[in-house]
This record gives sequence, structure tokens and C-alpha cells, in this order.
Amino acid sequence: MRQTFSDSLVRIADADPRVILLTGDHGYALFDAFRAAHPDRYINAGIAEQNMVGMAAGLARMGFRPFVYGLSAFVPVRVLEQIKIDVAHDNLPVVFVGDGAGFVYSYLGTSHQALEDIACVRAVPGMMVLSPADRHELSAAMDHAYAARCSVYLRMGKADRGDVHKEGVAIDMAKLQCLRSGRIGGTTILATGPIATTAVAVAERIGGIAVWSAPSIKPFDTATLAAICASSSRLVTMEEHSVMGGFGSLVAEESTAVHPRSVLRIGVPDRFSEHCGSYEYLLREHGLDLETIATRIAIYDAQ
Amino acid sequence: MQSSKSNLSFNPQKLRRTVLDMAYVGRTAHIGCAFSIIELLAVLYRNHLRFSPTDPKSPVRDMLVLSKGHGVMAQYACMHEIGWIDDAAISGYCVDGSMLKGLSDSRVPGLEVTSGSLGHGVSVAVGMAFAAQRDNSGQRVFAIVGDGEMNEGPIWEAMLFAAQHNLDNLVIIVDENGFQAMGKTSDILSRGSLSAKFAAFDFDVMEIDGHDETAIDNALTTMLANGSKRPKALIAKTIKGRGVPFMENDNIWHYTRLTDETYQTAVAALGESR
Repeated sequence: MRQTFSDSLVRIADADPRVILLTGDHGYALFDAFRAAHPDRYINAGIAEQNMVGMAAGLARMGFRPFVYGLSAFVPVRVLEQIKIDVAHDNLPVVFVGDGAGFVYSYLGTSHQALEDIACVRAVPGMMVLSPADRHELSAAMDHAYAARCSVYLRMGKADRGDVHKEGVAIDMAKLQCLRSGRIGGTTILATGPIATTAVAVAERIGGIAVWSAPSIKPFDTATLAAICASSSRLVTMEEHSVMGGFGSLVAEESTAVHPRSVLRIGVPDRFSEHCGSYEYLLREHGLDLETIATRIAIYDAQ
Repeated sequence: MQSSKSNLSFNPQKLRRTVLDMAYVGRTAHIGCAFSIIELLAVLYRNHLRFSPTDPKSPVRDMLVLSKGHGVMAQYACMHEIGWIDDAAISGYCVDGSMLKGLSDSRVPGLEVTSGSLGHGVSVAVGMAFAAQRDNSGQRVFAIVGDGEMNEGPIWEAMLFAAQHNLDNLVIIVDENGFQAMGKTSDILSRGSLSAKFAAFDFDVMEIDGHDETAIDNALTTMLANGSKRPKALIAKTIKGRGVPFMENDNIWHYTRLTDETYQTAVAALGESR
């Protein structure tokens, strides 16, 4: 996924000389290709994220197309007010890329773990929120974010969990993406971000369960959700994010309005991480490992 | 595009009268905050800002970023004189449905930023100045900051970036009226000499009486032509509530609304001090 991000950014910058990258002193090797191709458009704004976002607003007002990169704990969470007032209020075309969302920085603890970012940003009026599951969705998300000419949050989670789409598949970012079909009238899983790979594995193990990926959280493809609800008896949502205010909340809110269905929200419980450990360890601590999820969904599916 | 020499008068006492009229009809606070920057705005609009009288969004304009959004009535008064705001907007200020808000809002043509949550505007101004520098457009960016607002950390982040990138087209003007919402700045987060602080951040700095129009004009002219690559800071010593004696240096006029009586008294006082 990281190579895809770098390739996409360079591709977009190659085509538009107004594209400029701002980073808050993060992204060590990630920008090597960009810096080689466009050294004058690589701006390290320093460890000063609030100023970085305000500057991005100023640059956008003057016709530039900023991409603002940070860890998702900082961009967008730390700088939420700058995003709201300086950028989103006038829907300025700034793309915020929050990297390492979820438990990616498992060893570093709470300060670097972002589990509330979707909830924060989706409440900001007009913001587009994208959450790609794999490198194919990420590549499409970068082009979609650039083309949208609005304020965008692009959430990048764990980068090495593999693909959910086949090579070369065309992805319509505005739509929910069917990854696996299931039994009519059965359980359907909707997942956002790289945890979609777990969703597919769970569905394969249990059988008969459909899986959809949601690369666009806002705007959200409510029409397809209504169709999914019509053909499913119950829904499961999966996200590496708090169960409060994120993707599960979104699906519950939207489905309630169009075609009410029971929704099992699988995500991070309402607490901070207690311990230090590997990424897989933290997933287990919060019940987001394959075994725990498969057990929960099997029980739910059998109800 | 208008040259930097406007034939409009931007008479400070007339501008203050507009502020009083707005504050009275809108039952709004922040009169003192507006009065301290009247002369600064008058000189900027009259002599330095390049703008189009018919197009506040002209793409080649100089930028005036009111980071201390609480002083926005002073800017509305100038925009009214230019013609960007009509009489109805003044007389309907903060009445239900008013497009003009109690703090600076970027959706009003002529205002560049949404501010009032403090410490935002300088970063946006730095981004604008950086953009203008990269485009070699010749545009200047003026950011007006309150001395109370200097409590906010992002301003100091922005100063570091401005100096690092030699933003010589940026002028930060500090309205040093000595007060913030709850008292004297020196009693809350005292930060000594602002001139020394800006100089330490590699800015060119001048300090002037912020109500002396000639001094303001000369300082801006001098700094903008000094050939230095550094960003500029103008420290304007001002009086909160300047122009109406019973409001001057009385921080209650950060909050207080005008009554029929205080409005009449203030209008009369303006007339006498003209």
C-alpha cells in the first residue's frame, strides 16, 4: 500500500504542477520518489501540525492543491479545529492523508493510535472521508480525492494486510464494493479499511456470508446499503476504529433510515489500549483478531 | 485593480461611528477590540492594500487577514466605505438573517479568513504569502493579530516557517492594546517585549503608535521597501476602546452592549474628539 501511495502521489503531481505536499516531519522513506521527482514541491512544515494545516488553507486559497500528510493521530485528530475552520468551512481542495490509522503504531501507545479519527472528521460538514481497504482502493482513492476538489480525509491503515481486490479491477469509489457474495436472507459483513481482509477470511470460514468493502465513508452509498439490507437478515460492520461514531455507527444510522436491520458493530471498545505489544497482539486485546471475530459472527449468524 | 493609493478617506472617526451604529443595532460586543485597530485598517486600505473597489475577490489583490476576528466591525466599516457592504447590511447587522457575523467569516467577500478561534489567521496568511512567493505574483499579505492572541501556539509555529522561507511579502501587525478577554495581557501570560520576540524569530520589526496614521504609514512604507528577505512585524501600541473616552482602556467594552444612553453618549464623544 505504501508503494501505491507514493506512486499515486507522484502520478498526480506529475500531471498538475499546483499539487504540493506538506508533511509534519513524518514519512521518512515514503516520499523518496516524490522528492526525487518534485523536490520543490516537497515541504517539510516541521513538527508544527496546526500551522501546517492553516498554511494548506492559505495555499489552497491561492490556487494550490495541497496534500497534507501526517499520522492520523495528528492529522486529522490533533488539528481538527484547523481542518474545520480554515479548510472545510469553505470546502477548500485540501487532501489530508492520515497514515497509520488504528493500531499500526502498536508499540508506541495511545498517543500514536488513532481510533476516533473517522468519528471526528465525518461530523465536519462537507468533508469527504475515504478509507481504502487495499492498494487498489488506495490508488482509486487518491485519484478520487484529487478529482473531487473538496476537503478530503483519506485514512490509511495497516499497509501490509494484502489485497481484497483482483489486479486491474476498476473501482468506483462512490460505491460499496462487493468482495464476496453470500446467501440471500443471510448475514452480510460491511467492512472499511484493511480489516476487510479479516472480513473475507471470516466469511470464507463460516460460509454463506456476503462481504462488502466501504472505501467511501462520506459521501456514503446508501442506495447500495438499502439493497444489501433488503437481501440480508442482519448486518455486521467491521472497522479498526472505535465502535462509537465511526463506520458501524454510520451503517446503523443509514440502515435505520432506509431499511432497518440488526447491526453488530465490531470495532474497538470504548477504552484505551492497556498494554504494549505487536499489532496482532493489540488486535487480540481489543477482540479484533480473526478468531474472536469469527466466533462472534458465527453466534450472531446462527441467531 | 486599484493602486495602493485610494481616494477614499477612511476617516477614523467616521469608521468608529459605523462601528458604533453596528454594535448598537446588532446588540453586539467587541467594540473595544474594533476601536484599537481603526487607524491601522484606515492606513492599510488608504495607502497600502491593492484591491479592486468593484471586486473584493480580485485574484491579484493583496491579502488582509484579520486573525483577531473580534475586531471585525472595524473591517466592516472600511468595506462599507469601499462599497463592498451596503447600508442595509450595516443597519441589519447581527439581526436575524444577517450575512455579517460577529467574528470574521471568509464567506463574506472582502474577509479572507474565518477567525475568532484565535491563532488561526497567521498560519493561513503564511500559506498565502508562501503561495504568492512561489508564484512570484508580487502580492503582499498583511495579518492583524491581537496581543492577547499571541498566547496561541500556532502563531509561533507560523513565525518559524515564515522566517525559514524568507517570506518578505508577509507583514504581521500586532494590535498591542494590552488587554485580552479577562484582563491585562501582562497579568495573564506576560511575554515582555513583542519587538524582541519577533526579532528573535528573525523578523524585521518596527514599533509605532498604532493610532498615529503618519507613523503607521511611514513604518509600512519603510518595511515594505527595505529590501530585506525577512518577514516583517509591525508592533502597534494601541488603546483598547480608542476614540470614546469612557471606553478607553476599560476592558468592560470587550463585552458590554450599548444601551440607548451609552450609544448616544459615545456618538457625542466621537463628535467632540474629531
